[in-house]
Amino acid sequence: MPDINALRLEAKRVLREGIVDVVVGFKPGDSPLHPQPAFFRNEDEVEELIHNGLCKNNLANYLTRLPKQEKVGMLVRGCENRSVNSLIVESQKERDDLYLIGVPCEGIIDWRQIVEQAGEHISLVEESETLVTVHTPAGVNSFNRFELLHESCQRCLYRNPISADIVIGDPVANGSLDPVAQKVKDFENQDIEARYAFFQKEAERCIRCYACREACPSCYCAECFVDHNAPRWTESGATPAGMQGWHIVRAFHQSGRCTSCGACERACPMDIKMTYLTEKLNHDMREKYNFECGMDAETKPPFQTVTLDDKNRFFLGGGN
Amino acid sequence: MTAKAKIALFQCRWCLFSPADQEWVDTQLPENIHLTKSPCTGRINPLYLLNAIQGGADGIMISGCLPEQCHFKTGNLAARRQLEEFNDFLHYIGYEKERVRFLWLDLQDRGIIQKELAAFEKELEAMGATHHLATRIMRAEGGENA
Repeated sequence: MPDINALRLEAKRVLREGIVDVVVGFKPGDSPLHPQPAFFRNEDEVEELIHNGLCKNNLANYLTRLPKQEKVGMLVRGCENRSVNSLIVESQKERDDLYLIGVPCEGIIDWRQIVEQAGEHISLVEESETLVTVHTPAGVNSFNRFELLHESCQRCLYRNPISADIVIGDPVANGSLDPVAQKVKDFENQDIEARYAFFQKEAERCIRCYACREACPSCYCAECFVDHNAPRWTESGATPAGMQGWHIVRAFHQSGRCTSCGACERACPMDIKMTYLTEKLNHDMREKYNFECGMDAETKPPFQTVTLDDKNRFFLGGGN
Repeated sequence: MTAKAKIALFQCRWCLFSPADQEWVDTQLPENIHLTKSPCTGRINPLYLLNAIQGGADGIMISGCLPEQCHFKTGNLAARRQLEEFNDFLHYIGYEKERVRFLWLDLQDRGIIQKELAAFEKELEAMGATHHLATRIMRAEGGENA
């Protein structure tokens, strides 16, 4: 667990010394399950700053939403740091305008599982490295922390910030690639009917609120393809084709740009599974182009670069 | 399948070097093949493919130039990366991979596209219609999405 006082001291310091105009972090929300993103512009406000396993947003999301000229300080975990890097590659922000306060992350807790197991009336949630203790009017329950983690955090590869200016807290062990590859393979090895049935079942529950888009740091287009209606890129109504189109293209637009933070899935009010789509694309980028998104602030994603090395992969004279 | 398989053909306007082939594609395509000409395969957005599938195409053929023969130097390389990945991705969620066919043509090739289209059509007819991926609801003639 990061030392919250050290985080507050650092946030106050960068604000006081004028290194940044705003620090992006979290503050307590309406319920202990939902800390909310917050923007701290002066030292007094920083007293509210918190950081725990229930902070579920990807803060890099606000990088493109804040005014461009502002210098931004940001609390970043492993995935957020990679998202920031990927936004720098895409020229959305200058690295010099950023001050990254790194926090090694032990995974984000899936609040839905707490509600499922302990009910909705929750007064307090306490965390330790292995246990999550939930206080409700009915009593106190303890759960295994790892089992409560969000799915994408259980398989997280890079838990430590990669290019933060300062890291507060001890580094934690990084994950291994095997469970990620295994998950994609397990899905791929299913029958084609089963795969489509799963996709169809997930896509048809969509209510088209676009919370996944708003939660994603890579989705920053001024006008999304589904909002563009003259001419229409694709069916965008609340029809089966519209739902499927949205899920396919939203995921495909993340190819080589997704850091598997899982913010889209956590934001979904219908609890639709989405990371199985982006994980396939990330897996392919790793296998085909040896590319991992956001590992540095220079390498462009595979779809933005071309090389003649690819030429042997064309099949001469047609065919697949 | 009683009617002929519907094919959406996306053609790079430089890939058919022989005027006879281009003439055939421009004027004598069978009715079940819908031609979309693009300035380069690099201009073909994956959304076009999805749109064709949702619009009721049974198969998609993309014809472009081989590497080092692209009119715009690297358009085909970029296209191959994206479109191949898009096809793999569609396959992952349960669309038959064989329904998207790439045809990379050499500048010396003559009379290939006709044969390939005929073979592709036969294969599609053998496979039958797909119920994977929903097709959009057709509006009336002249409607926005028709």
